[in-house]
Amino acid sequence: MENIIEVNAMAKIFANQPAIEDLSFTVKRGEIFGFLGPSGSGKTTTIKILTGQLEPTVGSATVFGESISKLKKPEYRQRFGVLTDNSGLYKRMTVYENLKLYCELYGMPLSKIDEVLESVNLQEDRKKKVSALSKGMTQRVLLARTLLHAPELLFLDEPTSALDPVNTRHIYKGLRALNEKGTTIFLTTHDMEEADTLCDRVAFLNKGKIQLMDTPDQLKKRYADGTMTVELKNEEKVVLSTGTEDAQVLYEFMKNGQVATIHSNEPTLGDIFVKATGRVLA
Amino acid sequence: MNESIKRVNAIFQKDFKDFSRNIAVSVVLFMPLFVAALYGRMGVDTLDAHYMIINLTFAMVATFVQCCLIAEEKEQNTLRGLMLSPASTFEILSGKSLLTFVLTILVIVAGALLSEYQPANLLIVSLAIVLSSFFYIALGTLLGLWAKSVMEASVIILPVLGIFSFGSFLLPLAEKYPVLKVVEYLPSVQLIEIASKVENGAGFSETAMQFGIIFIWTLAAGTLTALIYKKRMMD
Repeated sequence: MENIIEVNAMAKIFANQPAIEDLSFTVKRGEIFGFLGPSGSGKTTTIKILTGQLEPTVGSATVFGESISKLKKPEYRQRFGVLTDNSGLYKRMTVYENLKLYCELYGMPLSKIDEVLESVNLQEDRKKKVSALSKGMTQRVLLARTLLHAPELLFLDEPTSALDPVNTRHIYKGLRALNEKGTTIFLTTHDMEEADTLCDRVAFLNKGKIQLMDTPDQLKKRYADGTMTVELKNEEKVVLSTGTEDAQVLYEFMKNGQVATIHSNEPTLGDIFVKATGRVLA
Repeated sequence: MNESIKRVNAIFQKDFKDFSRNIAVSVVLFMPLFVAALYGRMGVDTLDAHYMIINLTFAMVATFVQCCLIAEEKEQNTLRGLMLSPASTFEILSGKSLLTFVLTILVIVAGALLSEYQPANLLIVSLAIVLSSFFYIALGTLLGLWAKSVMEASVIILPVLGIFSFGSFLLPLAEKYPVLKVVEYLPSVQLIEIASKVENGAGFSETAMQFGIIFIWTLAAGTLTALIYKKRMMD
């Protein structure tokens, strides 16, 4: 599959402090790529560079097969969407009026407004002034704005950080639907559950460097300790090996009808991050 | 081209709606009109008085309103959204300037009616006013890009108000303090010069020098604004 993003040995240094160092990765067209790391690990800096808002100190990157310096051209801006923590809305205007402006800037029909408002669960709030919205609702309007032109590539920086679980699930559904229609999503988050739910591949970023990169499943397999927990009907929990050595024990539990539940003890992405970096995500 | 006009129009319409709900800034439109009505009722009919109102309009409407519109876009992080959209620098700056241009011209016309100013050559004076408004709007954009907030914008506008609206009052002191001769080249003073010459029957050829000076100011402000805007596109 074609690479939509290619980053080669990229670094960004602010006042002698590296924000990102020797970053190299690719994102394939059509995938949801998760960039995971704690605050200050360089996630937003990377998005800013890849969207032409910041120049790398060293290294290079291409988006749509073109150097990132070309992303300043309007024809490339039509092809991607960005949601970052410094995105804003016109507070004296309504949700609909804010989205109408961007529909017109992107040359999209106004009928798209209802479509994107539905995808972020805000169809009832189109006439509300932005100043009257909660932080979570504002975040959803910003997300709706980035979806208006159904971009080929979507950069989302912590898109669900201010949302409640119900709306987070609704957003996930919308993002998956968008991805199924062909939009590649570059997602930064420190929410491991979000990454596990949405991402085809993830990269762990720590202190500006990529520590690990793979599919969530592969990472879990790589860091699995080869055990499972069997909960018996008498509430006793027994940890068994997933290898052949404990097969007879498991067989006996099952034969005697003692098994209540069986869980593979695979690590979460959060556990793997801690093991790989020694840092807790926050 | 058609797409370009649509984008400029979209930004203009957005600004119009947003501005009409922004009482704190839109109230400044009435200041030049109030002074004009006062002068008209008092029977003040000197060229300096008429152009004090016109230059006040440039500072308060063209520069201050524009400065606030741009500074607010920066403060609310909405300017970056426009910059990341397919709208070009020209489309964004044109769209952002169109409302201020229309308001400036409307207030100047209304002010002239209230103060009963009737120029001897409407065409030359109108062209000079339109050219001057481009300079003041570019200056407002520049200051707006520089200011971090609307609050800061309302402070940095004060020197502009002093220099460009009331700069001509320093001219009598130029003989005593030669450094003040520089005031003669201010666009506000050049505009008064054009109006004055027109009253004495001058045409385009006699006012070309003054038009040239205002044009240079406009070009310099416009170029600097475009450069700063490009710089603001990057973090």
